[in-house]
Amino acid sequence: MTPLWTDYFTQFVVAVIATISFGITFHVPKRHYLAGGLTGAVGWMVYILCFDLLGVTAPVAVLIATLPLTLCARFFSVCHKAPVTVFLLPGIFPLVPGAGIYYTAYYFLRDDRSLFLNKGVETLKIALALALGIALVCSLPLPGRDHKK
Amino acid sequence: MENNLLERAADLVMDAGQTLLENGGEVFRVQQTMEIMAHSLGVRDFHVYVLSNGIFASASMGSAHNVSLIRHVPAVTIHLGRVEAVNELSRELAAGQLGVEDAEARLQQARALPCTSTWGERLACIVGAAGFAYLFGGTPLDAAVAAVAGLFEILICQWFGAHKINRIFTDIVAAFACTIWSVGVQAVLPAVNANAAIIGALMVLTPGVALTMGVRDILNGDYLSGSIRLLDAVLIAGSIACGVVLGWLVIHGLGVAA
Repeated sequence: MTPLWTDYFTQFVVAVIATISFGITFHVPKRHYLAGGLTGAVGWMVYILCFDLLGVTAPVAVLIATLPLTLCARFFSVCHKAPVTVFLLPGIFPLVPGAGIYYTAYYFLRDDRSLFLNKGVETLKIALALALGIALVCSLPLPGRDHKK
Repeated sequence: MENNLLERAADLVMDAGQTLLENGGEVFRVQQTMEIMAHSLGVRDFHVYVLSNGIFASASMGSAHNVSLIRHVPAVTIHLGRVEAVNELSRELAAGQLGVEDAEARLQQARALPCTSTWGERLACIVGAAGFAYLFGGTPLDAAVAAVAGLFEILICQWFGAHKINRIFTDIVAAFACTIWSVGVQAVLPAVNANAAIIGALMVLTPGVALTMGVRDILNGDYLSGSIRLLDAVLIAGSIACGVVLGWLVIHGLGVAA
């Protein structure tokens, strides 16, 4: 079991670092680095665990992962008294279907129509899942929603 | 309120709104913040309409004096530090802790918040590309290839940005360079998995921001701005795909890889 857990732990750390890197390109203030990184890593870990252990398809895993991710972003936003965007924009990046875009283009070029369609539809589904997940959690009236007034 | 003061206050509110919009605030946040600020500064009859690239507002003082203001925000560069600073400013204004002069000074500070240095941005892209290459199943070697590809991308983005070359073309060229480089390395070192490296490096370009902000605008009822941003997301994704296809076409043309 040990190698498996170290593998997931490494993924967690890498996800934190990668998300913080995106945060830096968006000029997130330094005091939010860790919170933003954790938001991204939570999303990635839920995604990869759902995908590996539960065997669900990628769009469903993304949908499930977006829920805790957006919750985290809102939680940090209340704690740090900062706009939710500060955590949500970098945090969402690990789940954006970059691989989907690439493979769609790749199979388009290869003229492999069934795989091209497969990947294209999957990319679209992931983007929709992402949108739906954000929509579900952002619409919940959590306490602290009115902290701006 | 004196006419002069009304104009100053209205200008301040507009500047704050423009700063938010330019640096990646959502439409509803810009609108809400401007209304809160106007209310706190005593600007009456304040009406504002915000789009993803423009702000229209009017304020009046009885029938004697009216102010109407329009701002065009052609380009958005994400700077979340500034968004947060303006947000904080509006909260303090609402709590009645600041006057117009203080608020003007604070807004100047917020607008002058420094950007990450050029090399800081490059480093962030390198680390980000390498990290995602690893997460998407790459070996440390693939991650290293992706890191260099990430450096190429940010160099292209920065150089094209400085020469005001449009975003679509920039994305196409960046994705093209990243594909060519990764497949080129794979041709020399067969141990490298070009796909993982390319995907990791492409994550830097993906339209995550446009997608997230588009969804949030639409959720808040700003359908027009939301559609504009979603269209932006589709265009960016399309440009990346074009760049990848062009890259592979050139590679096939040169006969480097199957």
